[in-house]
Amino acid sequence: MKRRDFLKTTATLFGGAAFGGFQTTNVLADDAPKKGGTLIWGHSETTQNLDIHQTGTASTVRLLQNVHNAIVTVDKNLNVIPSLAKGFEQSADGLTYTFRLRPGVKFHDGKAMTAADVKYSFERCKNKDTGAVNFEVFNDVEAIDTPDDMTVIVKLKRINAPFLSRLAENGAGAIMPAGSGDIQGKTPIGAGPFKFIRREFGHEVELQRFDDYWDGPAYLDKIISREVTEPTVRLTGLRTGEMHLINDIPADRMKEVKSDPKFQVLTWFPLNWDFVNMNHDYPPFKDARVRMAIDLLIDKEALLQGALWGEGRTTASPSFPTSSSYDSALKNRQQDIAKAKALLAEAGYGPGKLDVVFKATTNYPYHVESAQIMLEWFKEAGVNMKIEQLTWADWLSQVWVNKDFQISMMNFFTLWEPDFLYYSLWNSTGAFNYRKIKDPVIDDLTQKARVTIDPTARADIYKQVQQQVFDQTHDIILWFRNGSIGAQPSVGGLDTIVHPNGSNFNFHKVWLRA
Amino acid sequence: MTYVLNRLLSILLTLFLISVITFAVTTILPGDVATMIMGTQSNPEALAGLRKSLGLNDPLLVQYGRWIYGMATGDWGHSLVFKVAISELLIQKIKASALIVVMSMAIALACAVPLGVWAAVHRDRWQDGVASTSALVGVSLPDFFWGIMMILLFARALGWFPSSGFADPATNPGLAVWHACLPAFALGLGLMAHLTRMTRSTMTGILGQEYIRVGRAKGLSERVIVWRYALANAIGPVMTVAGLQIGYLFGSIIVVETLFNYTGMGWLTYQALLNRDIPLIQATVFVIAAVVMLTNLVVDLLYLYVDPRVRLQ
Amino acid sequence: MKRLLTIKALIGFALVAMVLGVAIFAPIFIPEEAANRMHMTARLKSPSGLYWLGTDQLGRDLLFRVMRGARTSLSIAVSAVLISLLLGLPLGLIAGFYRGAIDNVLMRLVDTLLSFPVLLLALVISAMLGPSIPNAIIAIGVAFAPFLARVVRGEVLRVVQMPYVEAARAAGARDQRLIVRHILPNIMPPIIVQATISLAFAILAEAGLSFLGLGTQPPQSSWGLMIQASRDYLDVAPWTALVPGAAVALTVLGLNMSGDILRDIFDPRSK
Repeated sequence: MKRRDFLKTTATLFGGAAFGGFQTTNVLADDAPKKGGTLIWGHSETTQNLDIHQTGTASTVRLLQNVHNAIVTVDKNLNVIPSLAKGFEQSADGLTYTFRLRPGVKFHDGKAMTAADVKYSFERCKNKDTGAVNFEVFNDVEAIDTPDDMTVIVKLKRINAPFLSRLAENGAGAIMPAGSGDIQGKTPIGAGPFKFIRREFGHEVELQRFDDYWDGPAYLDKIISREVTEPTVRLTGLRTGEMHLINDIPADRMKEVKSDPKFQVLTWFPLNWDFVNMNHDYPPFKDARVRMAIDLLIDKEALLQGALWGEGRTTASPSFPTSSSYDSALKNRQQDIAKAKALLAEAGYGPGKLDVVFKATTNYPYHVESAQIMLEWFKEAGVNMKIEQLTWADWLSQVWVNKDFQISMMNFFTLWEPDFLYYSLWNSTGAFNYRKIKDPVIDDLTQKARVTIDPTARADIYKQVQQQVFDQTHDIILWFRNGSIGAQPSVGGLDTIVHPNGSNFNFHKVWLRA
Repeated sequence: MTYVLNRLLSILLTLFLISVITFAVTTILPGDVATMIMGTQSNPEALAGLRKSLGLNDPLLVQYGRWIYGMATGDWGHSLVFKVAISELLIQKIKASALIVVMSMAIALACAVPLGVWAAVHRDRWQDGVASTSALVGVSLPDFFWGIMMILLFARALGWFPSSGFADPATNPGLAVWHACLPAFALGLGLMAHLTRMTRSTMTGILGQEYIRVGRAKGLSERVIVWRYALANAIGPVMTVAGLQIGYLFGSIIVVETLFNYTGMGWLTYQALLNRDIPLIQATVFVIAAVVMLTNLVVDLLYLYVDPRVRLQ
Repeated sequence: MKRLLTIKALIGFALVAMVLGVAIFAPIFIPEEAANRMHMTARLKSPSGLYWLGTDQLGRDLLFRVMRGARTSLSIAVSAVLISLLLGLPLGLIAGFYRGAIDNVLMRLVDTLLSFPVLLLALVISAMLGPSIPNAIIAIGVAFAPFLARVVRGEVLRVVQMPYVEAARAAGARDQRLIVRHILPNIMPPIIVQATISLAFAILAEAGLSFLGLGTQPPQSSWGLMIQASRDYLDVAPWTALVPGAAVALTVLGLNMSGDILRDIFDPRSK
């Protein structure tokens, strides 16, 4: 497959514009950018491990987006385009990728980037023993050659359609100076527009403009990312002017903030999507009728209003909303308590006979509130629900790793490569299949998709997967959640901040007025 | 001399016990650090690799020995989740907490002693009623509730103080104190109430004593009696109680700091617990217990020095 | 008797009685559905004729929740104090009665445990065991036990020197009999006072634990949990914090007052 074909594939699969629902309120028209200033950003989460290969948290990745650049990146239409590589080719048999590196790229320590750094970075990520989280991106890699300083050739054992687009993520494709692995956790060094100065743990992180950035220096002198996890405190910080910009405006205050002419508000979806999980090893949930009954007990619109104050959109398809694999014909089941009761009775779980424990994590308070709302609906059908609030650590270890749960709820930051999404979540060998779903139909389909070249056919396969998930009610997809940014009028370039994946922030083209 | 040696040995023994208890408790903690670090990217293979590289598979005794040896030689390990040297973290955060502990103690003592004396002097009259009742109310509310009140009143309604955050005292003392004010007040109010009650009851006890009556008979003015003689004798027990309260304070600090997002030792401990960051939990719990123990020790010694009965000997 | 009739005593006992009454009777008259019912169109409403104490973020009536919460918070506190007595009483008795090596070892252990702030101990135990009501009870109970043990030991030391104990010992009474028939009844009054005060602290501890997410689980209402849930809405709906906060305050106030009065009655020296 030639490179041109590949790009067309990606675009068709991912669709046109990156977002649906990119809304701006009071955003000032763009005037000429000014250089200088320190932007204070109220970040909704604390950063953890600063090592881009090891960190699994979206919050840290969001910050590190400004410190690292990857070998390739995506444009706003989600096409893979050059970044640290100024060009790339794929061989006709799809097994060899050649990257031609951009000359004159400097790292923050002053050194110039060469093929050796790329080889080092890829190998570090491939090696599980370094604690790298995305090692499976490189599972099919057979060899990495560096015939000269500016060329890197990656040979695969077999065709891996998502390989290139995965490299656009910093977690897999970030290029760091050779040998810098040991210090990345404390002082990340990369080739991004800002360099890391310091972190006061739990309090703030300071970044400073890197003047030798290959794509031209940023406008801002400094960025201070202040970690304010309390939503009301964050909003107050914006109000008092303590912070220029905050992300994640609390859902219940959104109307109020939008109607305040003093602030620029940016909302987009999706930030992520949420779904209700049922453990397929828990006997009642082995029966598809019971699963469908649970689906019928939930009024998704009402839940969205109740838990998220309407900041989002219900959906039955988790695909990126504007991509061709998004099945708009698929609609959530409406709440039908009578039908649910009938199904439950048919399956042998009449009123009072089904007990479930709902494990919700306090890391997302709206999950806990959703559970409380669902509890009341379940009661109407005679299903007894008990709620267990778990800290993030406990949820991860109990539900995610040990798969020890009955019913739970989780969100995913949109995985825009459909293979990564559908395979990992619903294939019986998928890395994220913590619900223990074993559906041979889905296994077949997802395998087929991996080797299907024609983009329309591939999108169609993924639609079939979604239909199967829906028909069998393997999970209950709920909604896309809105992302939001609130900013002072002094912040310019707001429309460039949000990365196509909906979660990361890039401050390269942001500036401060006056 | 032997007394000092005895005391020293006693301290070491207690520190040892504290370390054992801390270690024992944290190893029974459910939840897994490796999972915490990797987040939703966790999968069994990667986790096993990570666990190995973190040394979590070694026998408990070995891990304990490693920990103790590390502490003794100044290497307190690294926070597994935040990847920073724990000793650095501790120094930063201890400074932060020390600031609010000292401030709250100062506020509490400065207000409680005069208030308590006033109540004792006007015992059983309306002044006593007012003071005692307010003190009683003060003791009855949880510290974080005072914190919430502070936030509502001083931060939101009046805007005098910031409702969160913290600044490094070393680089910016003024700002540091400003951020520390509300948390210190929240902590201090409960303490103040407690100390007021203590001062009042100690003072009333003393004012009823023989030698006070003798002093009055000798013609000394009431003010001299109260402030020079009675208070001097009351200070001892009051300081003792204040010192013992440090223990309770370090518990409350966890809640108050979390409420104000004031990143000190209490906040750090809570984060460590949430994240199952074992080395950090061990370090923070150990430090807090050790500080409390040492404070109690100092208070004991001070009491011996200050207690009039002992001094008179 | 005159002491009993002071204003402080009246208010104190009245408060305790009121809270106790609510704890016992409220769940009978206010069914769980009423307290958990969410009125989605009436979220975060301030106190009004329809909702006397306002509603929380899920539209639940705060009056119902705070009244039902009384039973939760109180039962946790009472159970925790009972556990601390169960652990601390025997420890203190043995240490105080036998003295010597046993006393040294036990008190060394107790003193070490006392170096861990109570809330910290309760937090760590709770985190260990997992968040739930029984675990919160165990955590608070275990955390309070060392202090209680010390108090018991102190009282035992005092009582052991009393003439009637000496007399009984001289008459050849066995240890067990001495402890149970002579010492225990005489240390009960100060222990009761201590228990009352511990009860007050236990309520504060439960509030603190729930505030940090380690106690009661939703949708049950405990006061601590209600305060925790109110954090996000402080500036738009402060009553969501003030209502449970006031409940805690009044209960603890009543308990402290009662404890004071009881102490006056049983131990006049302390005045």
